[in-house]
Amino acid sequence: MLNLALHVGATKTPEAVLFWFLAPLAVIAALGMLMAKKAVHSALLLAWVMITLAIFYIAQDALFLGIVQIVVYTGAVMMLFLFILMLVGVDSSDSLVENIKGQRPASIAAAIGMGGLMVTLIGRASLGRSAVGLVAANTNGNVQGLAEQLFTKYVWAFEVISALLITAALGAMVLAHSQKVRSRTGQRDLSIARFRGDSLASAAGLPSSGVFARHNAVDVPALLPDGSAAPTSISSVLKARGDMIESAIFELQPKEEEEN
Amino acid sequence: MLTAPVLNYSLLAPILVVLGGALLGVLVEAFLSKAVRPAAQLAIALGTLVLSFAQIIRVRNLTSLTAAVNSVTIDGAGVFIQGTILVLAFIALLLIADQDNFAAQASAVPGSEEERSAIATGKIQTEIFPLTLFAVAGMMLFPLASDLITLFVALEVLSLPLYLMAGLSRRRRLLSQEAALKYFLLGAYSSAFFLFGAAFLYGFSGSLSLNGIAAAITGGQGNDVFLLIGIAFLSVGLLFKVGAVPFHSWTPDVYQGAPTPITAFMAACTKVAAFGATLRIFYVGLSAAQWEWKPIITVVAILTMAVGAIAAIAQRDVKRALAFSSIAHAGFLLTGVLALNKSGLSASLFYIVAYGFTTIGAFGIVTLVRDSAGEVTDLNRWIGLGKKSPFISGMFVLFLLSFAGIPLTSGFIGKFSLFNAAYETGNITVVVVGVLASAVAAFFYLRIVVMLFFTEPTNDSVTVVIPSIMTRFAITFCALVTVVLGVYPSLLLNTTQTFANFLK
Repeated sequence: MLNLALHVGATKTPEAVLFWFLAPLAVIAALGMLMAKKAVHSALLLAWVMITLAIFYIAQDALFLGIVQIVVYTGAVMMLFLFILMLVGVDSSDSLVENIKGQRPASIAAAIGMGGLMVTLIGRASLGRSAVGLVAANTNGNVQGLAEQLFTKYVWAFEVISALLITAALGAMVLAHSQKVRSRTGQRDLSIARFRGDSLASAAGLPSSGVFARHNAVDVPALLPDGSAAPTSISSVLKARGDMIESAIFELQPKEEEEN
Repeated sequence: MLTAPVLNYSLLAPILVVLGGALLGVLVEAFLSKAVRPAAQLAIALGTLVLSFAQIIRVRNLTSLTAAVNSVTIDGAGVFIQGTILVLAFIALLLIADQDNFAAQASAVPGSEEERSAIATGKIQTEIFPLTLFAVAGMMLFPLASDLITLFVALEVLSLPLYLMAGLSRRRRLLSQEAALKYFLLGAYSSAFFLFGAAFLYGFSGSLSLNGIAAAITGGQGNDVFLLIGIAFLSVGLLFKVGAVPFHSWTPDVYQGAPTPITAFMAACTKVAAFGATLRIFYVGLSAAQWEWKPIITVVAILTMAVGAIAAIAQRDVKRALAFSSIAHAGFLLTGVLALNKSGLSASLFYIVAYGFTTIGAFGIVTLVRDSAGEVTDLNRWIGLGKKSPFISGMFVLFLLSFAGIPLTSGFIGKFSLFNAAYETGNITVVVVGVLASAVAAFFYLRIVVMLFFTEPTNDSVTVVIPSIMTRFAITFCALVTVVLGVYPSLLLNTTQTFANFLK
């Protein structure tokens, strides 16, 4: 294990170097995350911020926390982020139209003010005493120490969290799962409908679109032997969307000579 | 070697029973047929609350104890608040059980063919009941939790089901979904503030328990900057939940968008739980640092009372108006936090009970005023309703008078004892602002009374539907409590005085 912070209270040179090297990068990445126009860039910069934090955790002897930070946040949560970005479309960028006039300058001013206040406050704060207890907490190993806390002192909170997980699962079901109102028609039902219906016209299956006509496309209806168009050959989805091409122009006109 | 922790499950029984009932509800969803689900869920939910209340009665004499390795404190005020939450949740469940208020199928896109067929086939989302129970369990843990981690977990357990249920309205679904999303995002934001504050308080005191923080403040070894940042951020998280100005902006939108029975549940029970926790944190954890936080909380209380009372006047929607009135009441309750003595705590407990019943009753009546498209919340269309249905309108007026703090209602006794406690501690400014805000609010409430009874009706399509037995019972019970506590306040005042103690 890295023993960078064995003598707690005083920061050793390697840790200081590590901090002053990585901290500015983390801050720049965090600012970039806010300013990037594309969501993917924001997500990747966020991942970098999280990895930097994980390195800091590990440098401060919180090995387990650091690893969990990488595995859970940078791994699982960030991947979920990216999956959702893929669903939404990588190229889509945020709408930068202001709904409330003057909101952006006001919020930037407020954020800078808040940040400045926090920096001056925390900059003046010191612990007031030497940090103690890290060695004692990690005597039996970092993971073991955490496990002891989790399964003795905070076991009740740990148990109650299960209620939170169940609520989350139940909520996802309520918001996303839809039960079928009608039962699905199976192959057997379709077959019966085809042969016992009023006419046997569709017994051999519906005509395929386009191919019997002068065009070969899904939005052009097939032509029946008498030269008229067959609307049933077009997918109902296309029909509902209004993407069906008017079939009249593709119908075979009876030749004028024959009429004579 | 680990020694097994002693959790004292028998003391945690009230919460465990509710959690068990919620789990049973989830199993019912999975295994019972659709036809029997609504009845089964309602029976389980109501039975659970009754059983849990019985556990509270068993536990109440064992007060001043800690359970779950000191992370839960069972003391008088805690047990009283738990009992209040259970009774209020019982009444609110009766309103919730009137399923006509919820989306037939939440997953169907609003206005889609799927939604129409779901309504036509009479589908209902019975998951509401286990979700309500999970929220109740969180609410019961929140005011008892005595370390910051348990507090945070309880806060999340109570919030998550509420975020969900706010989005399940049957009508005006887009508004409801927007309310849910807004509540969720702002709630997550305030949780982050709460955690940040908890981290700083840990940095200050080296302890996460309220007692440890109190000891560190008295000991005076820690860094005050850490303490101040910790108190500030922890307060932001709490004040968001109670809906205090300037963290109130979610309240009107969410109260308006959520299904009305859920608004009733949220307005009453969440406020009780959040004030329970706020009282415990400030009375037990931070009372030694009172000179640091009192000025700020005083300003917040004054702002909350003033903004709530004044903004309510401008509202045209009855649910938004009641939301602003609930903001004003949060301000009145903050004066109880500022009092920091036994009479302040006792008055707060009384006020919480009085406010909770009045709120559920008022929202219960909102569910009854309808036209063909559903609930009518536009105040202008309520004009002259008193002539059409004098009884229901009369009850609504009773609740409004109680909100306004007119004598012979529970609201008057509540306000009187709260301001009295604040006066005892010499907090004159708050009392003056409180009385002025009450006067402004009274003007608003009386304006509605005039609209209901002394204006000729113009719109004929609005009617008061005949309530189901459950709704009727709920509203009548709330009205009874409002009157009885106004006429014989000593019934409850004596109880709150016996229970008004925090174990430090």
